[in-house]
Amino acid sequence: MALTSVQSFYSPEDSKAVIELLDKHEDSALIVAGGTFLHGLVSRGLLSGIEALINIQKLGLNKIDISSDAINIGATTLLGQLKNCPEVKEQAWLGAIKDAMEYPPTQIMNSGTVGGSISSSCPFFDFPVSLLALDGNVQAEGSSGSRDIPLEEFFAGLFENSLGSNEFVTGVRIPVPAGSTTSAFIKMETNANDLAIINVAVCLSMSGTGDCEQARVFLGGGVGESPVRSPSAESALVGTKVDEEAIEKAGEAVLNDLDPLSDHRASAEYRKAMGKVLLKRALASAMQRLS
Amino acid sequence: MSTTNVIGKSITRPDAYDKVTGGKKYPVNYTLPGMLHMKILRSPYPHAKILSIDTSEAEKLKGVRAVLTPDEVPKKYFTPVYFVPYNAPSMVQDFILLSDTVRWAGQPVVAVAASSEDIAEQALELIDVEYEELPTVFDPEEAMKDGAPQLHEASPNNIAKNPSFEFGDMEAGFEDADHIFEGVYETQRAHTCYMEPRVCVADSDTDGRITIHSSMQHTFGLREKLAVALDIPESMVNVVKPTYIGGGFGGKLDIGFIEGLAALLSLKTGKPVRAEHSRGEDFISTTRNPIKVYLKTGVKKDGTYTARQIKSILDCGAHATHGSEVIMVHGLYGTFFPWKCPNQIWEGFTVYTNNMIGGGYRGYGAPQGCFAVESQNDEICETLDLDPIEFRLKNTHREGDPHPVLEGHKLASYKIEECLRQGAERIGFDKRQAAGSAEGVKKKGIGFAVHPLWVSGCVGFPDIYEHSGATVKLNRDGTADVISACVDLGSGQISMLTAVVAEELSLSADKVRIVYADTDTAPFDAPTHASRATYSAGLATKAAAVETKKRLFKAAAAVMEANADDLVLEDGKVMVKGVPESAVPMTDIIARAESPFIQVGEQGPAPTTIAEKGTIIGTASQAPPSNPSPVGAQFIEVEVDTDTGEIEVLRVVYSADVGQVIHPNSAEGQVEGGFQQGMGYALMENLQFDQETGACLSADFLDYKIPTAMEMPSNIESIFIDSHEPTGPYGGKSMSEMCLIVPAAAIANAVYNAIGVRITELPITPEKVLKALGKL
Ligand SMILES: Cc1cc2nc3c(=O)[nH]c(=O)nc-3n(C[C@H](O)[C@H](O)[C@H](O)COP(=O)(O)OP(=O)(O)OC[C@H]3O[C@@H](n4cnc5c(N)ncnc54)[C@H](O)[C@@H]3O)c2cc1C
Repeated sequence: MALTSVQSFYSPEDSKAVIELLDKHEDSALIVAGGTFLHGLVSRGLLSGIEALINIQKLGLNKIDISSDAINIGATTLLGQLKNCPEVKEQAWLGAIKDAMEYPPTQIMNSGTVGGSISSSCPFFDFPVSLLALDGNVQAEGSSGSRDIPLEEFFAGLFENSLGSNEFVTGVRIPVPAGSTTSAFIKMETNANDLAIINVAVCLSMSGTGDCEQARVFLGGGVGESPVRSPSAESALVGTKVDEEAIEKAGEAVLNDLDPLSDHRASAEYRKAMGKVLLKRALASAMQRLS
Repeated sequence: MSTTNVIGKSITRPDAYDKVTGGKKYPVNYTLPGMLHMKILRSPYPHAKILSIDTSEAEKLKGVRAVLTPDEVPKKYFTPVYFVPYNAPSMVQDFILLSDTVRWAGQPVVAVAASSEDIAEQALELIDVEYEELPTVFDPEEAMKDGAPQLHEASPNNIAKNPSFEFGDMEAGFEDADHIFEGVYETQRAHTCYMEPRVCVADSDTDGRITIHSSMQHTFGLREKLAVALDIPESMVNVVKPTYIGGGFGGKLDIGFIEGLAALLSLKTGKPVRAEHSRGEDFISTTRNPIKVYLKTGVKKDGTYTARQIKSILDCGAHATHGSEVIMVHGLYGTFFPWKCPNQIWEGFTVYTNNMIGGGYRGYGAPQGCFAVESQNDEICETLDLDPIEFRLKNTHREGDPHPVLEGHKLASYKIEECLRQGAERIGFDKRQAAGSAEGVKKKGIGFAVHPLWVSGCVGFPDIYEHSGATVKLNRDGTADVISACVDLGSGQISMLTAVVAEELSLSADKVRIVYADTDTAPFDAPTHASRATYSAGLATKAAAVETKKRLFKAAAAVMEANADDLVLEDGKVMVKGVPESAVPMTDIIARAESPFIQVGEQGPAPTTIAEKGTIIGTASQAPPSNPSPVGAQFIEVEVDTDTGEIEVLRVVYSADVGQVIHPNSAEGQVEGGFQQGMGYALMENLQFDQETGACLSADFLDYKIPTAMEMPSNIESIFIDSHEPTGPYGGKSMSEMCLIVPAAAIANAVYNAIGVRITELPITPEKVLKALGKL
């Protein structure tokens, strides 16, 4: 199966041109970044009527900027570039991203982009779940200017997001947390080319006395139309030292917020059980990182 | 054993460079000018009657050149399996290219040829088919019940085949037993996942003759089945042998649909027609048949078998095709005869359902049998506290024993004891812990499985083609051309045939070429399947090289004025045995044999002799003399995460008696590739279907999971036991399928050793492990 209806392929060199093209072609235009997920969408018949492809690789968005208050990752930054970024490798608070970058196969690391990973709005991806835990924002640009969209508000269902009709993603922005923060991510997969059966990301901000001041817990994979947050697990953690007992309680608590799906890959029951196991492991790993 | 020049050394694979630079000779890269592209409209229903088909809109689409509907296809019902005659009495003739009844979701209904793939695809959307849905049945045991929906009129209760064997006295046998073990072992559908899709280009001449290129495992099988499907004489079809194909593993061992439909469309349009499966189409075109095995075994306290009762139910899907042979091989070589048991009964059922059609897959019924028998053997040893190695040896045949299936043949080379003992030693089997006794969340375990009887071809099986042939021709530049219809699936037949000819003709391997062959010009060869190519095609090619050598000696005798019987070939030179001064380079002899009769030299014209003239060529066509059994045992260490159920394979030792190893690197490749497929079968692979609509749920690699390099253990050790098969080419026999027969059983036993709980249904998914551990 192919995108038989495509008539034009554009490679604009600035955002303005992208927006104009999006305006001109409306629903029949599609942005292409690495093209790695496009293929899957096409072969499953999820894309039709596409007449124009807009390649955004020439906008100069493949860069990572680091300042004291935020990390800005351009939309066409390759997952592999992100993996090799020294901050991601070394900083405990970016641990969830470091972990998430361990999973995609090499081919995807070398061609899939950060913007594509987010814009696909697919709950089965890894990077978006780790970014949710880090309270990341999506930077979008459209005819009415640019705006930051908190990632939690960005996802709006399976393959759906809150981008306007002529908006596209230019990058993501992760605020640098104050104080002592750590994060971790774990994915369950069948083989190295798999999308998550279930995945979990946690981010913990600890006070000087070792108490958890803030916890963010997100799960992806077959958990719903979009990744889900677990307020129950978070409140089981806040105020504790995230010791074994707290971790155990958080593991129990996460079950309150999980209503996963049953499909040919795993039952809901199994996904729930794994939500608990993976959360406990992710918490232990995040704490380990801090020490 | 005599020393060899080429055999047993890993010659450079002649096809390697070509493949790593793009493999332009794969059939998928074959094109013809002006060719059309075919696409198939498939049924969305698993069981339905076609009431009407309207193709008028599709035919109006610009670029559409022809449309083919069921009423334009010859009404020929046949067996599409390549290695048996199309009308073999032991098989079922229920297959037809297009029918007005659909029996599985995905069955071809209409084929379209157009000037491009895109147009052909668009045309499919314009075809209007009216169906009347019929009741469906997906479970073979349900299908066998009275009142179940019937798929084929000729097969009451949907039973396509019901073979059985028996010997001894079952009642006495079970009475004699100190313990009786009973279990049910189930296996799933798995796809071979060949890399190159099924693809073909069919072209027709003005006289109605078809020439076809295709990615398949048997040139002559395709010729026969295509002729039947088109209802034309066999000689009206010429099948060009692909230089190599991108994998088959048994998945390209029957004609399927594309070749027949493309050929009919070529006849209709007068143009070449190309057809290529999408991966989704491949996934619903061939599969290992799921088999449910009911196994009951009686044993003495010391572990000696007294009786065994086996019932195997095979789901063949909508048509019997391979299912009627897989059940036999599964019964005979997968469960019944490998083990010594005085009283045995086996009954098999090949059952129609509205599932996809089954196919061939490396091991052909034996992985399912080995999983059942070796799982239960492990249970027996565990329960009775028996040494699992000694238990196996007590109940298996020994070297020199009569072949358990083939009357008049012996197990002449059969190093089962060495396989088991050397494998056990390498993995450290004596140090393994008691089942389930490992501490911690992640538990390690060691297990093994052996399969004591398998084949080197099909000698002894009813209705199966087995002969091979080849022609070997020497050129004046000292090279040899080999014409053989034996297809290289990627498993190294090119290297094997090259090595055999080089060895026999005392040439270096780079002087031998496997050249163009087609069914018009090459002698018949049975397919590359059944672990037979080295033994059967290897022997026939060796025989052809021997004929060539005879011819060389005849010419040399004239040139050298010697007696042909006294001549030997060494280092590329012909000489009188024991007289090195007599040596003449073989190129001189070949040049003389091919030269003009009167050669004009400095001294004027000089006639040569009539006796030396003529191309140095030899042909052989023969059936192999026997069917020696290889043996394979696999020892495996796994680690099971008891919180998630995930299984990691840490270490693999495979020890085998394959006779003389022809090409050591390829042999190790077979072990590793076989393990990868076996590990997938054991742990993750599963073609799944919606149980209401029959739609495939795992039609791409996002949903159909196979082990990647990342899941493979870094360490797969092969031990090839020193062995020499007296009837084989240079002492060789077979190896390919065994490498995939044992892994699932070995992994299951290792998992049991790790966690103390047994899983009897493949694949052993994390979820099943967790359930078995009572954690879900
Ligand atoms: C075999 C395989 C394995 C994979 N494994 C993993 C894994 O382990 N973990 C994981 O997280 N992911 C995995 N993925 C998914 C992979 O991460 C995504 O495919 C990739 O990140 C998408 O990026 P891309 O640049 O290729 O997107 P594209 O394919 O180019 O685009 C994807 C979608 O996003 C839209 N889009 C892209 N960029 C923008 C933008 N800037 N603004 C608006 N819309 C945009 C496109 O229009 C399209 O709809 C895997 C994919 C495959 C095929």
